[in-house]
Amino acid sequence: MTSEASGRIDAPEYSPPATPILPPCDSTLLNEKGNMQVSPALRADLLDFKAWSEILTTYGRTMRVAVALTDSQGQLLGKCHNPQPVWQLVNNAVRGRGPGCPFCITTRLPCTAVADALQTGGVVMVRDQAGLTHVVVPLLLGKLRFGAIVAGQVFDRYPDSLVLRRVAKDFGVSEQQLWELAKEQRPVSSAVLQASGDLLCALGNAFLRQRYSAILEAKLAETNGRFRLLVEGVMDHALFTMDSTGCVTSWNGGAERLLGYVEAAIMGQNFSCIFTREDIQNRVPEKQLHKALIAGRADDEGWRVRGDRKQFWANVNITALEADPAISRSFAIIVQDVTERRKIATVLEEARQEREGLQEKLLSHVSHELRTPLTAIYIFTTNLLDGVYGDLTPHQHEPLTLALDNVKQLKSMVSDLLDITRVETHKLTVEPQHLSLARLIDEVLSTCLTNAAAKNVTLRSDVAPSLPFTWADPARVRQILINLIDNGIKFASRGGSVTVASPPYVENEGFLCLSVSDTGCGISSENREIVFDRLAQVRSTTEASRSGLGLGLFISRELVSLHGGRIWVESELGKGSIFYFTLPVFSLAKLCAHVLTAANLEAGCVTLIVVDVAQVEGAVQADILLEVRKVLESCIRPEQDVLLPSMSDAEPVKTFFIIACTDAKGFEVIASRVARELRKFDSSSKLKPAISSTTLLLAPGHFGEEQIGDVAARVDQLVQAHLLGKERLQ
Amino acid sequence: MTEKKILIIDDDQHLQLGLSARLRARGYRVSCAADAISAITVARKELPDLIILDLGLPAGDGFLVLERMRDLADLVAIPVIVLSARDPTDNKKRALDAGAVAFFQKPPDNHEFLGAIRHALGETMALSTFLKT
Repeated sequence: MTSEASGRIDAPEYSPPATPILPPCDSTLLNEKGNMQVSPALRADLLDFKAWSEILTTYGRTMRVAVALTDSQGQLLGKCHNPQPVWQLVNNAVRGRGPGCPFCITTRLPCTAVADALQTGGVVMVRDQAGLTHVVVPLLLGKLRFGAIVAGQVFDRYPDSLVLRRVAKDFGVSEQQLWELAKEQRPVSSAVLQASGDLLCALGNAFLRQRYSAILEAKLAETNGRFRLLVEGVMDHALFTMDSTGCVTSWNGGAERLLGYVEAAIMGQNFSCIFTREDIQNRVPEKQLHKALIAGRADDEGWRVRGDRKQFWANVNITALEADPAISRSFAIIVQDVTERRKIATVLEEARQEREGLQEKLLSHVSHELRTPLTAIYIFTTNLLDGVYGDLTPHQHEPLTLALDNVKQLKSMVSDLLDITRVETHKLTVEPQHLSLARLIDEVLSTCLTNAAAKNVTLRSDVAPSLPFTWADPARVRQILINLIDNGIKFASRGGSVTVASPPYVENEGFLCLSVSDTGCGISSENREIVFDRLAQVRSTTEASRSGLGLGLFISRELVSLHGGRIWVESELGKGSIFYFTLPVFSLAKLCAHVLTAANLEAGCVTLIVVDVAQVEGAVQADILLEVRKVLESCIRPEQDVLLPSMSDAEPVKTFFIIACTDAKGFEVIASRVARELRKFDSSSKLKPAISSTTLLLAPGHFGEEQIGDVAARVDQLVQAHLLGKERLQ
Repeated sequence: MTEKKILIIDDDQHLQLGLSARLRARGYRVSCAADAISAITVARKELPDLIILDLGLPAGDGFLVLERMRDLADLVAIPVIVLSARDPTDNKKRALDAGAVAFFQKPPDNHEFLGAIRHALGETMALSTFLKT
């Protein structure tokens, strides 16, 4: 499609495609991929002939050329403006112009300049069979081809009479008339045509872009209008906007209805007027605005106040209207009245609590009522077994022992029943204390001995002698161990064994691990998943009918997790199972953590008071310790001081309590009060424990994280020293 | 040495029967009361060395008995062990606060329970060994 040799007039003559002169398309018209999305309707709208008419007519008159708008296929859109006489004469004689260039006067195929111009993005110049020249200007938005402007129908040199004669013959027009008109038409040089084509290209494309923006704006305005109607129509939500200072900038009908302010009255007012007085005093509106500024969004549920001072429970959502919080200047607020929903939720919650309360009450009552006859049976059975009513024959002894075992089982089932209710009402609690496991495990094993002996199962303890102290509830740990050991005995084969051990545990430094292993039938992998679930009963071939309530492991899991530990089982079918559970290691530093803060240490107001209680005949009596504890509790300030329970397990050292106190002045007060109270206790009570006290004053100084660690370590050393009875730190 | 006297206050006749048999076998003299009012009357008449007290009683509960005892000079020093079917969670602390020396939930472990009785009667140690300057 390059230029033809001049003189040949049977085919359109092309000028070389000009360098594209279109400015780069405005980036706002593009989507993120650089493509523009234009619907056919928008395309038609952009090339609306009527809109272009004025600019094209003006151009044509000024430049004395004919101008026409075509689509991207070269089809004429609307009429040709300012048509030139020669062209007009010939064109009138053309019957049924086919597709292609509307300007070309040719008996053959018209030119493809529109396609070429759109392809190259530049102006293309063409001379037709009659020697008339036209330029074609592409209309482009980015890479999208919309159409073209064709301008010309002028001679770019003096008309050739031979050529015109042939045209007159070919198209059946009067040769003389054609020649007269041609002579009248002033030629325009191709250089001028080219220049005016470039001008038209700039002009046309600028107009196209302007038109595109105008259409978008109109659409946006229409959308806004529709959106406004929508917002106004929402009546069950209050929708309003405010600026960054919280002043209302728009107010919908729902806001008027729900919040009771008319738009005129509220515009420009601060949105804090819908908050309660307490919220305003507590600066809640400012805090919410701040949160929305920082996070782009703030959600809240709470009381809000209507214009008539009536309160309602509101669900409020504040959204920043700019994605970037740094430039956010405006917020949209949606308020919904959820008072009814809240009422229903409250009623449901009350009903749930009442049901739970009733359930607990019922089970507590049942448990209580079951215990009374159980106690009578227990007492009579043990009386018989212990020979209170005379000696028994071995034949009588055995069934009575079995009866006692059943009583014990019933007793633990009654306890489980109550515990399970507490789990459900979240009332199951543990009271952790400083605890040595070695002795507890020995006690538990001796308790389980009878059961084990009956099944000819050996009980073993393989607990490390250096097992650290733990921070746990002795009664609950005992319960967990008994559950696991009884379970082991139940499933161990006759002549087998159950072993309690303390395997090394490194996963969590603050915890130690105990294990209970048996030589039983083992648990299949699917059962291992559910063995800790409520009412899970792993079917055993031998004792399926005697597996209790199936609550033991469930309660054990709850108790272990209340201690912060975890419980799991490893098992191999036919070889036995190992149950593991972890308990927190006792750490004085951890317990005193809220006293041993950097601020307290820096202020020099950390004091530890150690209160010793002498042992009595190898064991400190629990009731004496309780009395001492009551005295100590009366001396401390619960919100500031920490009182640790007695640490009585390690033999043969003394039991002692530590009071960690956050106030150096308080130390004197507490120390003297403790001394006084204990003296009083000494003289009034018939229980007379021997008490001495030791104080440790931590040196004030500069404390950082590291130093706190040092102090904590020193506190632990102090405890160890006391427990081992080696020395007393001053 | 004279026999130690123990008063069982419990409205369950079977418990009275079984427990008193056990205690008599151990060489204690046992008397019983079945409600809060007669409990005080019997206690003042018998002046026992130890009282085993149930919490759920007719005509007032065990706490009322404990409270009354604190006000009566002849009863204030008598140690009381509470033996109740009630849940120890709250009742144990409440009972100890009210002056009981120990709390056992029914049914108690015989070994621990009889040990506590001996301890309360001062049979396991001489109180004087507590004294230390």
